[in-house]
Amino acid sequence: MKTIISNFGYFLKEARTIIKINLMSNILSILSIGLILFFAVATISGWWISNQAVEVLEEEAEINVYFAEDIDEDEVDHMMKKIHALTGVEEVSLVDKNEAYHRMEEVLGKEAKVLKYLDENPFSPYIEVQIDLESMDSIIERLKSIEGIEQIRDNREILDKIRNLSSVLKTIGYIFITAVGVSTLIIVSHIIRTGIYENREQINTLILLGAPDGFISFPFLIEGMILTLGGGLLASLLLSLSLRYVYSVMAGPLPLIPLPDMESMGRNLISIIMLLSAVFGLLGSLFGLRSARSR
Amino acid sequence: MIEAEGVCLNYSNGTMALKNVDLHIESGEMVYITGPSGSGKTSLLKLFMGMEYPTEGKLTVLGQPIIRGQASNIRQLRRSIGPVFQDFRLVKGRTAIENVMLGARFLDISNKKLKESAVIALAKVGLEKKMFSMVEHLSWGECQRVAIARAIVRRPRLILADEPTGNLDMDNALNIMELFASLKEENTTVVITTHATHLLNNLKEGRHIHIEGGIIYQKGWVD
Repeated sequence: MKTIISNFGYFLKEARTIIKINLMSNILSILSIGLILFFAVATISGWWISNQAVEVLEEEAEINVYFAEDIDEDEVDHMMKKIHALTGVEEVSLVDKNEAYHRMEEVLGKEAKVLKYLDENPFSPYIEVQIDLESMDSIIERLKSIEGIEQIRDNREILDKIRNLSSVLKTIGYIFITAVGVSTLIIVSHIIRTGIYENREQINTLILLGAPDGFISFPFLIEGMILTLGGGLLASLLLSLSLRYVYSVMAGPLPLIPLPDMESMGRNLISIIMLLSAVFGLLGSLFGLRSARSR
Repeated sequence: MIEAEGVCLNYSNGTMALKNVDLHIESGEMVYITGPSGSGKTSLLKLFMGMEYPTEGKLTVLGQPIIRGQASNIRQLRRSIGPVFQDFRLVKGRTAIENVMLGARFLDISNKKLKESAVIALAKVGLEKKMFSMVEHLSWGECQRVAIARAIVRRPRLILADEPTGNLDMDNALNIMELFASLKEENTTVVITTHATHLLNNLKEGRHIHIEGGIIYQKGWVD
Protein backbone atom coordinates (compact mmCIF):
# COMPACT_ATOMS: atom_id res chain seq x y z
CA MET A 1 0.00 0.00 0.00
CA LYS A 2 2.86 2.33 0.94
CA THR A 3 4.44 1.64 -2.48
CA ILE A 4 1.14 2.45 -4.21
CA ILE A 5 0.75 5.77 -2.36
CA SER A 6 4.36 6.90 -2.79
CA ASN A 7 4.26 6.04 -6.51
CA PHE A 8 0.85 7.54 -7.26
CA GLY A 9 2.35 10.37 -9.32
CA TYR A 10 4.36 7.83 -11.31
CA PHE A 11 1.23 5.70 -11.90
CA LEU A 12 -0.69 8.72 -13.22
CA LYS A 13 2.18 9.57 -15.55
CA GLU A 14 2.37 5.96 -16.74
CA ALA A 15 -1.41 5.86 -17.31
CA ARG A 16 -1.09 9.05 -19.39
CA THR A 17 1.70 7.45 -21.44
CA ILE A 18 -0.34 4.26 -21.97
CA ILE A 19 -3.34 6.35 -23.11
CA LYS A 20 -1.13 8.37 -25.46
CA ILE A 21 0.22 5.21 -27.10
CA ASN A 22 -3.34 4.28 -28.20
CA LEU A 23 -4.81 7.77 -28.19
CA MET A 24 -7.46 7.35 -30.89
CA SER A 25 -8.76 4.04 -29.48
CA ASN A 26 -8.96 5.60 -26.06
CA ILE A 27 -10.83 8.70 -27.30
CA LEU A 28 -13.31 6.49 -29.19
CA SER A 29 -13.77 4.34 -26.10
CA ILE A 30 -14.55 7.41 -23.98
CA LEU A 31 -17.12 8.52 -26.58
CA SER A 32 -18.72 5.07 -26.76
CA ILE A 33 -18.88 4.71 -22.99
CA GLY A 34 -20.28 8.25 -22.69
CA LEU A 35 -23.06 7.56 -25.20
CA ILE A 36 -23.92 4.18 -23.69
CA LEU A 37 -24.13 5.71 -20.22
CA PHE A 38 -26.20 8.60 -21.55
CA PHE A 39 -28.81 6.31 -23.11
CA ALA A 40 -29.00 4.28 -19.93
CA VAL A 41 -29.46 7.31 -17.73
CA ALA A 42 -32.00 8.81 -20.16
CA THR A 43 -34.14 5.71 -19.63
CA ILE A 44 -33.66 5.94 -15.88
CA SER A 45 -34.72 9.59 -15.92
CA GLY A 46 -37.87 8.65 -17.91
CA TRP A 47 -38.72 6.07 -15.28
CA TRP A 48 -37.95 8.61 -12.56
CA ILE A 49 -40.24 11.25 -14.07
CA SER A 50 -43.14 8.82 -14.61
CA ASN A 51 -42.71 7.44 -11.11
CA GLN A 52 -42.87 10.97 -9.72
CA ALA A 53 -46.04 11.60 -11.79
CA VAL A 54 -47.67 8.47 -10.35
CA GLU A 55 -46.74 9.53 -6.81
CA VAL A 56 -48.17 13.02 -7.30
CA LEU A 57 -51.34 11.68 -8.90
CA GLU A 58 -51.75 9.10 -6.15
CA GLU A 59 -51.44 11.80 -3.52
CA GLU A 60 -54.10 13.75 -5.36
CA ALA A 61 -56.45 10.79 -5.82
CA GLU A 62 -59.86 12.31 -6.17
CA ILE A 63 -63.24 11.86 -7.83
CA ASN A 64 -65.17 14.70 -9.38
CA VAL A 65 -68.92 14.28 -9.05
CA TYR A 66 -71.11 16.24 -11.51
CA PHE A 67 -74.75 16.72 -10.55
CA ALA A 68 -77.89 17.81 -12.39
CA GLU A 69 -78.06 21.57 -12.93
CA ASP A 70 -81.66 21.86 -11.70
CA ILE A 71 -81.05 20.72 -8.12
CA ASP A 72 -80.92 23.40 -5.45
CA GLU A 73 -78.25 24.20 -2.86
CA ASP A 74 -79.89 22.20 -0.05
CA GLU A 75 -80.00 19.11 -2.20
CA VAL A 76 -76.31 19.59 -3.12
CA ASP A 77 -75.51 20.00 0.57
CA HIS A 78 -77.45 16.81 1.38
CA MET A 79 -75.65 14.98 -1.44
CA MET A 80 -72.28 16.11 -0.08
CA LYS A 81 -73.13 14.78 3.39
CA LYS A 82 -74.12 11.42 1.88
CA ILE A 83 -70.85 11.22 -0.02
CA HIS A 84 -68.81 12.16 3.04
CA ALA A 85 -70.41 9.27 4.94
CA LEU A 86 -69.02 6.70 2.48
CA THR A 87 -66.05 4.59 3.66
CA GLY A 88 -62.77 5.74 2.11
CA VAL A 89 -63.89 9.32 1.53
CA GLU A 90 -61.50 11.74 3.22
CA GLU A 91 -62.78 15.16 2.21
CA VAL A 92 -65.69 16.59 0.24
CA SER A 93 -65.89 20.14 -1.14
CA LEU A 94 -67.96 22.04 -3.67
CA VAL A 95 -66.20 23.63 -6.65
CA ASP A 96 -68.50 26.28 -8.11
CA LYS A 97 -68.41 27.58 -11.68
CA ASN A 98 -65.98 30.42 -10.90
CA GLU A 99 -63.61 28.19 -8.94
CA ALA A 100 -63.65 25.65 -11.79
CA TYR A 101 -62.73 28.45 -14.23
CA HIS A 102 -59.83 29.68 -12.01
CA ARG A 103 -58.49 26.16 -11.58
CA MET A 104 -58.38 25.64 -15.33
CA GLU A 105 -56.56 28.97 -15.65
CA GLU A 106 -53.91 27.72 -13.20
CA VAL A 107 -53.55 24.38 -14.97
CA LEU A 108 -53.13 26.01 -18.39
CA GLY A 109 -50.66 28.61 -17.13
CA LYS A 110 -49.37 30.62 -20.10
CA GLU A 111 -51.91 28.96 -22.37
CA ALA A 112 -54.82 30.25 -20.21
CA LYS A 113 -55.34 33.12 -22.63
CA VAL A 114 -57.45 30.75 -24.80
CA LEU A 115 -60.17 30.95 -22.08
CA LYS A 116 -60.61 34.67 -22.78
CA TYR A 117 -62.01 33.88 -26.20
CA LEU A 118 -65.04 32.21 -24.58
CA ASP A 119 -68.17 34.37 -24.21
CA GLU A 120 -69.23 32.89 -20.90
CA ASN A 121 -67.86 30.52 -18.26
CA PRO A 122 -68.37 27.01 -19.79
CA PHE A 123 -67.46 25.06 -16.66
CA SER A 124 -70.02 23.26 -14.52
CA PRO A 125 -69.91 23.15 -10.73
CA TYR A 126 -68.94 19.80 -9.22
CA ILE A 127 -68.26 18.08 -5.93
CA GLU A 128 -64.60 17.31 -5.36
CA VAL A 129 -64.11 14.10 -3.34
CA GLN A 130 -60.69 13.35 -1.85
CA ILE A 131 -60.42 9.63 -1.31
CA ASP A 132 -58.18 6.81 -0.24
CA LEU A 133 -56.88 5.41 -3.55
CA GLU A 134 -57.43 1.80 -2.45
CA SER A 135 -61.20 2.45 -2.00
CA MET A 136 -61.74 4.10 -5.39
CA ASP A 137 -63.67 1.20 -6.99
CA SER A 138 -66.09 0.69 -4.09
CA ILE A 139 -66.70 4.46 -3.71
CA ILE A 140 -67.54 4.80 -7.44
CA GLU A 141 -69.96 1.86 -7.19
CA ARG A 142 -71.79 3.44 -4.23
CA LEU A 143 -71.83 6.92 -5.81
CA LYS A 144 -73.72 5.48 -8.76
CA SER A 145 -76.63 4.66 -6.44
CA ILE A 146 -76.97 8.26 -5.12
CA GLU A 147 -79.78 10.15 -6.75
CA GLY A 148 -79.02 13.38 -8.65
CA ILE A 149 -75.49 12.44 -9.75
CA GLU A 150 -75.06 12.77 -13.51
CA GLN A 151 -71.42 11.97 -14.09
CA ILE A 152 -68.48 10.63 -12.09
CA ARG A 153 -64.97 11.46 -13.31
CA ASP A 154 -61.86 9.88 -11.82
CA ASN A 155 -58.15 9.91 -12.74
CA ARG A 156 -57.80 6.11 -12.44
CA GLU A 157 -57.31 5.59 -16.16
CA ILE A 158 -54.50 8.14 -16.40
CA LEU A 159 -52.95 6.78 -13.23
CA ASP A 160 -53.00 3.22 -14.59
CA LYS A 161 -51.47 4.34 -17.88
CA ILE A 162 -48.65 6.21 -16.17
CA ARG A 163 -48.13 3.33 -13.76
CA ASN A 164 -47.81 0.91 -16.71
CA LEU A 165 -45.43 3.29 -18.48
CA SER A 166 -43.39 3.61 -15.32
CA SER A 167 -43.19 -0.17 -14.95
CA VAL A 168 -42.11 -0.59 -18.60
CA LEU A 169 -39.48 2.15 -18.23
CA LYS A 170 -38.24 0.53 -15.02
CA THR A 171 -37.80 -2.83 -16.79
CA ILE A 172 -36.09 -1.13 -19.76
CA GLY A 173 -33.90 0.75 -17.26
CA TYR A 174 -32.74 -2.52 -15.65
CA ILE A 175 -32.08 -4.06 -19.06
CA PHE A 176 -30.17 -0.94 -20.12
CA ILE A 177 -28.05 -0.90 -16.97
CA THR A 178 -27.17 -4.57 -17.47
CA ALA A 179 -26.36 -3.94 -21.15
CA VAL A 180 -24.33 -0.85 -20.24
CA GLY A 181 -22.44 -2.82 -17.61
CA VAL A 182 -21.57 -5.64 -19.98
CA SER A 183 -20.66 -3.28 -22.89
CA THR A 184 -18.49 -1.08 -20.67
CA LEU A 185 -16.72 -4.09 -19.18
CA ILE A 186 -16.00 -5.43 -22.67
CA ILE A 187 -14.75 -2.06 -23.97
CA VAL A 188 -12.57 -1.32 -20.94
CA SER A 189 -11.14 -4.82 -20.64
CA HIS A 190 -10.35 -4.87 -24.37
CA ILE A 191 -8.55 -1.52 -24.13
CA ILE A 192 -6.62 -2.70 -21.06
CA ARG A 193 -5.56 -5.88 -22.83
CA THR A 194 -4.45 -3.85 -25.85
CA GLY A 195 -2.49 -1.54 -23.53
CA ILE A 196 -0.83 -4.52 -21.87
CA TYR A 197 0.08 -5.95 -25.28
CA GLU A 198 1.54 -2.61 -26.42
CA ASN A 199 3.57 -2.36 -23.21
CA ARG A 200 4.55 -6.03 -22.98
CA GLU A 201 8.30 -5.31 -23.16
CA GLN A 202 8.12 -2.90 -20.25
CA ILE A 203 5.96 -5.32 -18.27
CA ASN A 204 8.40 -8.18 -18.90
CA THR A 205 11.28 -5.97 -17.74
CA LEU A 206 9.40 -5.06 -14.57
CA ILE A 207 8.68 -8.74 -13.91
CA LEU A 208 12.39 -9.53 -14.33
CA LEU A 209 13.24 -6.71 -11.95
CA GLY A 210 10.90 -8.31 -9.40
CA ALA A 211 8.09 -5.72 -9.46
CA PRO A 212 4.95 -6.97 -7.73
CA ASP A 213 1.79 -7.52 -9.81
CA GLY A 214 0.02 -4.63 -8.06
CA PHE A 215 2.77 -2.20 -9.10
CA ILE A 216 2.65 -3.38 -12.72
CA SER A 217 -1.17 -3.35 -12.87
CA PHE A 218 -1.92 -0.01 -11.22
CA PRO A 219 -1.34 2.27 -14.26
CA PHE A 220 -3.72 0.05 -16.27
CA LEU A 221 -6.30 0.25 -13.49
CA ILE A 222 -6.03 4.06 -13.62
CA GLU A 223 -6.32 3.96 -17.42
CA GLY A 224 -9.62 2.03 -17.13
CA MET A 225 -10.92 4.48 -14.53
CA ILE A 226 -9.95 7.47 -16.72
CA LEU A 227 -11.83 5.95 -19.68
CA THR A 228 -15.05 5.31 -17.77
CA LEU A 229 -14.95 8.51 -15.71
CA GLY A 230 -14.30 10.43 -18.95
CA GLY A 231 -17.31 8.66 -20.47
CA GLY A 232 -19.28 9.47 -17.31
CA LEU A 233 -18.44 13.17 -17.59
CA LEU A 234 -19.51 13.17 -21.24
CA ALA A 235 -22.80 11.43 -20.35
CA SER A 236 -23.36 13.96 -17.52
CA LEU A 237 -22.86 16.85 -19.94
CA LEU A 238 -25.28 15.34 -22.47
CA LEU A 239 -27.78 14.66 -19.70
CA SER A 240 -27.66 18.26 -18.40
CA LEU A 241 -28.26 19.63 -21.90
CA SER A 242 -31.05 17.12 -22.58
CA LEU A 243 -32.81 17.79 -19.27
CA ARG A 244 -32.85 21.54 -19.96
CA TYR A 245 -34.28 20.92 -23.41
CA VAL A 246 -36.88 18.36 -22.32
CA TYR A 247 -38.06 20.50 -19.38
CA SER A 248 -38.42 23.57 -21.58
CA VAL A 249 -40.41 21.54 -24.12
CA MET A 250 -42.64 19.83 -21.54
CA ALA A 251 -43.34 22.98 -19.56
CA GLY A 252 -45.12 24.45 -22.63
CA PRO A 253 -47.62 22.06 -24.23
CA LEU A 254 -47.67 19.50 -21.42
CA PRO A 255 -48.22 21.55 -18.25
CA LEU A 256 -50.44 18.85 -16.71
CA ILE A 257 -47.53 16.43 -16.14
CA PRO A 258 -46.02 16.99 -12.67
CA LEU A 259 -42.23 17.00 -13.23
CA PRO A 260 -39.68 16.52 -10.44
CA ASP A 261 -37.32 19.40 -9.65
CA MET A 262 -34.82 19.54 -12.53
CA GLU A 263 -31.82 20.60 -10.42
CA SER A 264 -32.15 17.86 -7.82
CA MET A 265 -32.97 15.21 -10.42
CA GLY A 266 -29.93 16.28 -12.49
CA ARG A 267 -27.68 16.11 -9.42
CA ASN A 268 -28.94 12.64 -8.49
CA LEU A 269 -28.61 11.30 -12.02
CA ILE A 270 -25.07 12.68 -12.39
CA SER A 271 -24.12 11.01 -9.09
CA ILE A 272 -25.52 7.73 -10.44
CA ILE A 273 -23.57 8.14 -13.72
CA MET A 274 -20.28 8.84 -11.95
CA LEU A 275 -20.79 5.98 -9.49
CA LEU A 276 -21.60 3.56 -12.32
CA SER A 277 -18.58 4.85 -14.30
CA ALA A 278 -16.24 4.24 -11.37
CA VAL A 279 -17.61 0.76 -10.67
CA PHE A 280 -17.60 -0.28 -14.34
CA GLY A 281 -14.09 1.18 -14.79
CA LEU A 282 -12.71 -0.73 -11.84
CA LEU A 283 -14.41 -4.01 -12.79
CA GLY A 284 -13.50 -3.65 -16.49
CA SER A 285 -9.84 -2.98 -15.65
CA LEU A 286 -9.65 -5.92 -13.24
CA PHE A 287 -11.34 -8.14 -15.81
CA GLY A 288 -8.89 -7.00 -18.54
CA LEU A 289 -5.86 -7.48 -16.27
CA ARG A 290 -7.04 -10.90 -15.22
CA SER A 291 -7.68 -12.02 -18.76
CA ALA A 292 -4.27 -10.66 -19.91
CA ARG A 293 -2.54 -12.44 -17.02
CA SER A 294 -4.24 -15.75 -17.73
CA ARG A 295 -2.99 -15.52 -21.33
CA MET B 1 25.03 -17.10 -1.99
CA ILE B 2 24.84 -19.29 -5.13
CA GLU B 3 24.99 -23.07 -4.92
CA ALA B 4 24.78 -25.25 -8.02
CA GLU B 5 25.07 -29.04 -7.85
CA GLY B 6 25.02 -31.10 -11.03
CA VAL B 7 22.89 -28.48 -12.79
CA CYS B 8 21.91 -29.25 -16.37
CA LEU B 9 19.82 -27.10 -18.68
CA ASN B 10 18.29 -28.54 -21.81
CA TYR B 11 16.08 -26.38 -23.99
CA SER B 12 12.88 -27.80 -25.46
CA ASN B 13 14.44 -27.82 -28.94
CA GLY B 14 16.95 -30.38 -27.69
CA THR B 15 19.89 -27.97 -27.21
CA MET B 16 21.97 -28.78 -24.17
CA ALA B 17 22.96 -25.36 -22.79
CA LEU B 18 24.61 -26.44 -19.53
CA LYS B 19 26.00 -29.77 -18.44
CA ASN B 20 26.61 -30.90 -14.90
CA VAL B 21 27.47 -27.49 -13.45
CA ASP B 22 28.92 -27.50 -9.94
CA LEU B 23 29.49 -23.99 -8.63
CA HIS B 24 29.77 -22.29 -5.31
CA ILE B 25 29.88 -18.48 -5.15
CA GLU B 26 30.45 -16.76 -1.82
CA SER B 27 28.89 -13.51 -0.62
CA GLY B 28 30.91 -10.45 -1.74
CA GLU B 29 32.73 -12.42 -4.45
CA MET B 30 33.54 -10.98 -7.86
CA VAL B 31 33.22 -13.64 -10.56
CA TYR B 32 34.02 -13.27 -14.25
CA ILE B 33 32.59 -15.87 -16.59
CA THR B 34 34.23 -16.02 -19.99
CA GLY B 35 33.61 -18.19 -23.00
CA PRO B 36 32.80 -18.02 -26.70
CA SER B 37 29.34 -17.20 -28.07
CA GLY B 38 26.83 -19.95 -27.39
CA SER B 39 28.97 -21.48 -24.65
CA GLY B 40 26.21 -21.15 -22.01
CA LYS B 41 27.19 -17.88 -20.23
CA THR B 42 23.82 -16.20 -20.68
CA SER B 43 21.98 -19.46 -19.91
CA LEU B 44 23.81 -19.64 -16.60
CA LEU B 45 22.80 -16.08 -15.69
CA LYS B 46 19.19 -16.82 -16.75
CA LEU B 47 19.19 -19.73 -14.32
CA PHE B 48 20.50 -17.49 -11.53
CA MET B 49 17.70 -14.97 -12.33
CA GLY B 50 15.01 -17.66 -12.27
CA MET B 51 14.25 -17.04 -15.96
CA GLU B 52 14.99 -20.71 -16.65
CA TYR B 53 14.82 -23.76 -14.42
CA PRO B 54 17.42 -26.54 -14.17
CA THR B 55 16.30 -29.66 -15.99
CA GLU B 56 18.56 -31.64 -13.64
CA GLY B 57 20.46 -30.93 -10.44
CA LYS B 58 19.93 -28.42 -7.65
CA LEU B 59 20.33 -24.64 -7.77
CA THR B 60 19.91 -22.20 -4.90
CA VAL B 61 20.33 -18.42 -5.21
CA LEU B 62 20.33 -16.29 -2.06
CA GLY B 63 18.71 -19.23 -0.28
CA GLN B 64 15.90 -19.54 -2.81
CA PRO B 65 15.71 -22.84 -4.71
CA ILE B 66 15.26 -22.24 -8.43
CA ILE B 67 12.46 -24.66 -9.16
CA ARG B 68 9.10 -24.48 -10.92
CA GLY B 69 6.02 -23.56 -8.89
CA GLN B 70 7.87 -20.88 -6.90
CA ALA B 71 7.04 -17.90 -9.15
CA SER B 72 6.09 -15.62 -6.27
CA ASN B 73 9.24 -16.42 -4.26
CA ILE B 74 11.43 -16.06 -7.35
CA ARG B 75 9.83 -12.65 -8.05
CA GLN B 76 10.75 -11.74 -4.45
CA LEU B 77 14.30 -13.03 -5.01
CA ARG B 78 14.70 -10.77 -8.07
CA ARG B 79 14.21 -7.72 -5.86
CA SER B 80 17.60 -8.58 -4.28
CA ILE B 81 19.30 -8.92 -7.66
CA GLY B 82 20.61 -6.13 -9.87
CA PRO B 83 20.45 -7.48 -13.42
CA VAL B 84 22.22 -5.98 -16.42
CA PHE B 85 20.70 -7.54 -19.51
CA GLN B 86 22.60 -8.03 -22.74
CA ASP B 87 19.82 -6.16 -24.60
CA PHE B 88 19.58 -3.59 -21.73
CA ARG B 89 15.74 -3.84 -21.52
CA LEU B 90 15.36 -0.10 -21.03
CA VAL B 91 11.86 1.38 -21.25
CA LYS B 92 11.44 3.51 -24.36
CA GLY B 93 9.84 6.95 -24.16
CA ARG B 94 11.42 7.55 -20.74
CA THR B 95 14.52 9.47 -19.72
CA ALA B 96 17.68 7.87 -18.41
CA ILE B 97 16.89 8.85 -14.82
CA GLU B 98 13.30 7.56 -15.12
CA ASN B 99 14.66 4.22 -16.27
CA VAL B 100 17.13 4.10 -13.41
CA MET B 101 14.43 5.00 -10.86
CA LEU B 102 12.05 2.43 -12.35
CA GLY B 103 14.41 -0.31 -11.17
CA ALA B 104 13.76 0.52 -7.53
CA ARG B 105 10.34 2.20 -7.40
CA PHE B 106 8.70 -0.82 -5.85
CA LEU B 107 11.43 -1.31 -3.25
CA ASP B 108 11.08 0.31 0.13
CA ILE B 109 12.84 3.58 -0.78
CA SER B 110 11.36 7.06 -0.49
CA ASN B 111 10.96 9.05 -3.71
CA LYS B 112 13.45 11.69 -2.59
CA LYS B 113 16.07 9.13 -1.60
CA LEU B 114 15.47 7.19 -4.81
CA LYS B 115 15.99 10.27 -6.95
CA GLU B 116 19.22 11.13 -5.10
CA SER B 117 20.46 7.53 -5.49
CA ALA B 118 19.57 7.55 -9.19
CA VAL B 119 21.58 10.75 -9.76
CA ILE B 120 24.55 9.25 -7.91
CA ALA B 121 24.28 5.98 -9.88
CA LEU B 122 24.19 7.85 -13.19
CA ALA B 123 27.19 9.93 -12.10
CA LYS B 124 29.08 6.74 -11.27
CA VAL B 125 28.63 5.50 -14.85
CA GLY B 126 29.51 8.94 -16.24
CA LEU B 127 26.03 9.90 -17.45
CA GLU B 128 25.14 12.74 -15.06
CA LYS B 129 24.90 15.14 -18.01
CA LYS B 130 22.49 12.90 -19.90
CA MET B 131 20.14 11.96 -17.10
CA PHE B 132 17.22 13.80 -18.68
CA SER B 133 17.83 12.48 -22.19
CA MET B 134 15.33 10.04 -23.64
CA VAL B 135 16.93 6.61 -23.90
CA GLU B 136 16.15 6.54 -27.64
CA HIS B 137 18.55 9.48 -28.04
CA LEU B 138 21.44 7.72 -26.28
CA SER B 139 24.17 5.70 -27.96
CA TRP B 140 24.40 1.93 -27.51
CA GLY B 141 27.20 2.33 -24.96
CA GLU B 142 25.27 4.99 -23.04
CA CYS B 143 22.20 2.73 -22.88
CA GLN B 144 24.42 0.01 -21.47
CA ARG B 145 25.60 2.38 -18.75
CA VAL B 146 21.99 3.37 -17.93
CA ALA B 147 21.23 -0.35 -17.51
CA ILE B 148 24.21 -0.66 -15.15
CA ALA B 149 23.04 2.39 -13.15
CA ARG B 150 19.57 0.81 -12.88
CA ALA B 151 21.18 -2.34 -11.47
CA ILE B 152 23.32 -0.61 -8.85
CA VAL B 153 20.66 1.90 -7.70
CA ARG B 154 18.77 -1.02 -6.15
CA ARG B 155 21.71 -1.71 -3.81
CA PRO B 156 21.31 -5.41 -4.59
CA ARG B 157 22.94 -8.31 -2.77
CA LEU B 158 23.79 -9.85 -6.12
CA ILE B 159 24.61 -8.27 -9.49
CA LEU B 160 24.23 -10.41 -12.58
CA ALA B 161 25.67 -8.60 -15.57
CA ASP B 162 25.52 -10.13 -19.03
CA GLU B 163 28.25 -8.63 -21.23
CA PRO B 164 28.06 -5.24 -19.46
CA THR B 165 31.07 -3.88 -21.34
CA GLY B 166 30.19 -5.27 -24.75
CA ASN B 167 29.46 -1.86 -26.25
CA LEU B 168 32.02 0.22 -24.36
CA ASP B 169 35.46 1.42 -25.31
CA MET B 170 38.45 0.25 -23.26
CA ASP B 171 38.48 3.20 -20.85
CA ASN B 172 34.74 3.06 -20.15
CA ALA B 173 34.87 -0.74 -19.87
CA LEU B 174 37.63 -0.53 -17.27
CA ASN B 175 35.71 2.16 -15.36
CA ILE B 176 32.63 -0.05 -15.27
CA MET B 177 34.65 -3.05 -14.11
CA GLU B 178 36.19 -0.91 -11.36
CA LEU B 179 32.71 0.29 -10.40
CA PHE B 180 31.55 -3.30 -10.03
CA ALA B 181 34.68 -4.16 -8.07
CA SER B 182 34.00 -1.25 -5.68
CA LEU B 183 30.66 -2.86 -4.73
CA LYS B 184 32.66 -5.45 -2.79
CA GLU B 185 32.83 -2.87 0.00
CA GLU B 186 29.07 -3.24 0.37
CA ASN B 187 29.45 -7.05 0.33
CA THR B 188 27.64 -7.23 -3.01
CA THR B 189 28.34 -10.34 -5.05
CA VAL B 190 29.01 -9.61 -8.72
CA VAL B 191 28.81 -12.17 -11.51
CA ILE B 192 29.83 -10.86 -14.91
CA THR B 193 29.89 -12.64 -18.23
CA THR B 194 32.24 -11.24 -20.83
CA HIS B 195 33.86 -11.96 -24.15
CA ALA B 196 36.60 -9.50 -23.35
CA THR B 197 39.22 -11.76 -21.77
CA HIS B 198 41.81 -9.03 -22.37
CA LEU B 199 40.01 -6.89 -19.77
CA LEU B 200 40.78 -9.44 -17.08
CA ASN B 201 44.47 -8.62 -17.34
CA ASN B 202 43.72 -5.11 -16.12
CA LEU B 203 41.59 -6.20 -13.15
CA LYS B 204 42.89 -6.35 -9.62
CA GLU B 205 40.87 -9.18 -8.15
CA GLY B 206 38.09 -11.70 -8.71
CA ARG B 207 37.52 -15.30 -9.77
CA HIS B 208 37.74 -16.31 -13.39
CA ILE B 209 35.49 -19.12 -14.64
CA HIS B 210 35.61 -20.30 -18.21
CA ILE B 211 32.66 -22.03 -19.83
CA GLU B 212 32.63 -23.88 -23.10
CA GLY B 213 30.01 -26.20 -24.57
CA GLY B 214 27.97 -25.82 -21.40
CA ILE B 215 30.78 -27.21 -19.24
CA ILE B 216 32.45 -25.07 -16.58
CA TYR B 217 36.21 -24.87 -16.18
CA GLN B 218 37.52 -23.13 -13.09
CA LYS B 219 40.36 -20.97 -14.33
CA GLY B 220 41.51 -19.55 -11.01
CA TRP B 221 41.90 -16.09 -9.55
CA VAL B 222 42.68 -12.74 -11.03
CA ASP B 223 45.65 -11.22 -9.23
